[in-house]
Order: sequence, then C-alpha cells, then structure tokens
Amino acid sequence: MKGADVISELKRILGDDDLVVSSNGNVSRQAYHLLSGSQLYLRGSMGLPVSIGLGLALAQPEKTIVVLTGDGNFLMGLSSMSTVAYINPSNLKIIIIDNQLYATTGGQETSSSQINYKTMIEGMGILNIRSFDLRDMDQDIGNLLLLESIEEEGIYVLHLQVEEDTIELDNIPWHPEQITENFKNRHKGELK
Amino acid sequence: MIFIAIVECNLLGETVLMINTIEILDYLKSKGFTLSTGVPCSYFKNVINSLEKDDTLQYIPATREDEAIGIASGYFFGGKQSFLLMQNSGLATIGDALTSLAQLYKVPLLIFVSYRGLEPDADFPEHLIMGDVTENVLKAYHLPYWILEEENWQNILELSINKMNEISLPVCLLVKQGVLSL
Repeated sequence: MKGADVISELKRILGDDDLVVSSNGNVSRQAYHLLSGSQLYLRGSMGLPVSIGLGLALAQPEKTIVVLTGDGNFLMGLSSMSTVAYINPSNLKIIIIDNQLYATTGGQETSSSQINYKTMIEGMGILNIRSFDLRDMDQDIGNLLLLESIEEEGIYVLHLQVEEDTIELDNIPWHPEQITENFKNRHKGELK
Repeated sequence: MIFIAIVECNLLGETVLMINTIEILDYLKSKGFTLSTGVPCSYFKNVINSLEKDDTLQYIPATREDEAIGIASGYFFGGKQSFLLMQNSGLATIGDALTSLAQLYKVPLLIFVSYRGLEPDADFPEHLIMGDVTENVLKAYHLPYWILEEENWQNILELSINKMNEISLPVCLLVKQGVLSL
C-alpha cells in the first residue's frame, strides 16, 4: 500500500465529525483531494502537526482529532510527542505515514528506516502504539488493519510503513486564511 | 476593578514593584484565556508556579517554543484562546511556526517574552546578543509589541489584547526582570 491508499481508505473509516490535521506537502495535498470535509491542511510549519493536534484536542475534548503526518515531519517535531504523552489527551490519534523519504522535496532519505517506532513511543509513555509494514500487503488486509486500529479507544499512535506514492496531486487551491475560516466554520455554534 | 502592584524586596533589600501574579492571571481569564503554554524563564517563575496550581488556566509545558506556538494555534483552531510564555531566546526558535503557521493562518496569540540580555544580565553572556537584537527581531517578524510595566499593566494588556483580536495575529509583550518575578 502507498500513502495515498491509506488516506483514501481513511475517507471511508473516519467519521464526519472527526477533525484532521495534515502535515505540509504531499500529505496535506492528499488529505485535501482524498478526504472529505474541511480539514486543517498545513502548508508550512514543518514539525508541528502533532502539537497543533494536541492544542485542538484540548480545545475540543468531545471530538476525535486525527493527525496525519509523514515520517520526516514527525521526526522534526519528535519532542512534541513527549508533551503529548505527558498530557495524554484521550481524543488524539496520531497516524505516521512512513515512506522513509522527504517525498515532497524529491525523495531524499529521512533517518526513519532504522527506528523501532513501537519501542520509541512506548518509551515516551504511550503504550497504545501499533506499527505495521503495509509495503507488500494486500490492500484488503491493510484496510482491515486500518479499520481495526482506527476504532481503538483513547490516545494512540499508528505507524504505517508504506511504499512511495506515484500520484501527482495539484496544490491546495485555498489560501491558508481560507483554510482557517472553513475549518472554524465546522464547529461554529458548538463552542462553550 | 482596582489593580495593585505589590511591593517586595529583592535580595539586596531594595524595594521593587511587581505585578501581582494572581491579579494578572484573573485579568487574563476575564479576557477569555483558558489555557497557557510555553517554555520557562526565571522571570516567569511566579506565574508558572501559579499556573501549575490553577485548574481553570491549564499550563502545558512545551519542549520547544515553536511547539508552544503549535499548541496555542491548535487551541485557537478549536475555537479557544491561550497565551504563551517564553524567553527571548525562543524568538529565534519560533521563526517558522510564527511565519508559516500563526501569521499565515491568522491566529491571534498573546506571547509574553522575557527581555533577557539587559543590564541585570551583564554576567550572562548567553543572553547578551539576543538581548541586543530582540526588538529588531520583533520588528522584522512584523510582531506588534509592548513593554509590560508594573504601573498601568492592565492598560498595556488591554491594548495588546485588543490589537491581537483586531488583526487576528500574534502580538508580543516584553517582560523585564522584576516585573512578574524577582
């Protein structure tokens, strides 16, 4: 499975009310084109999707917050996982789509390949971590694993090793101010 | 509402004016702030000590200042308002978080920044260069800023919060030694 296959499958699994934060570059482009709803598509702020997800989870404790991040982005903001583990918000779900590359900038290698994500995340204090290698996996089996993992209760981290994407997607046509506006309109009137 | 600056003595026995921590936090609550985050500076010792005991203004200890900008921005995207605390050394760390997130996505943030590297820090060379360039850095970032003072602190805060809301962008308050902690 590729990263885009994972995000396409998430469209079927995620609830309409779930709020998604996507990391800058290809992940946000895929989230824009392949997911439904107005999500929080990051254009810059490399390394920050996890911390943005934490703030969102604290502001909207009744909603499920899903952070979609590439491996390079996740590793840049690695220390924010320590804060997440310390605060332990039960409505935050972090999905690392790991192609071991900075794919958006031309496929340069990240340092992800030798990391044992399960050991690392457990060591930070989050015991609910699952790690799957989806690279040679049949799509149906991969989809089942995703479905099962996404439905888990409480905070979790899901690490997915994927093949390099081959699709080229257009950039997000919205200006970031429009992304903010559209995203905030989703929960207008629900604020306490 | 009447605000008082409390009088305390520093280690040399000199009388110093200082903003009452509880009063400034109550003021921020009255303005709708419900969360705080940042990286400590000794200038904020009293404030962070109070925040850690305060259930209505939870403090999230970030590992880096840019992470704190991320947390505060996420909180805003969720419809709520937080404020930040950091040393001016953090101004160097927040560059991308500020320009490609908070300013780009029009996120209002109130950032308290300790003004290190002035005279009291003469023996702390690690602060001196950033102290020299602090206000230039704020100007270069196009960050509106005020220097928080013991007298009229509520007016300064009100100005900065009004500006923050008016432009829906981050603003900054520079805090010198002794204004919020000895």
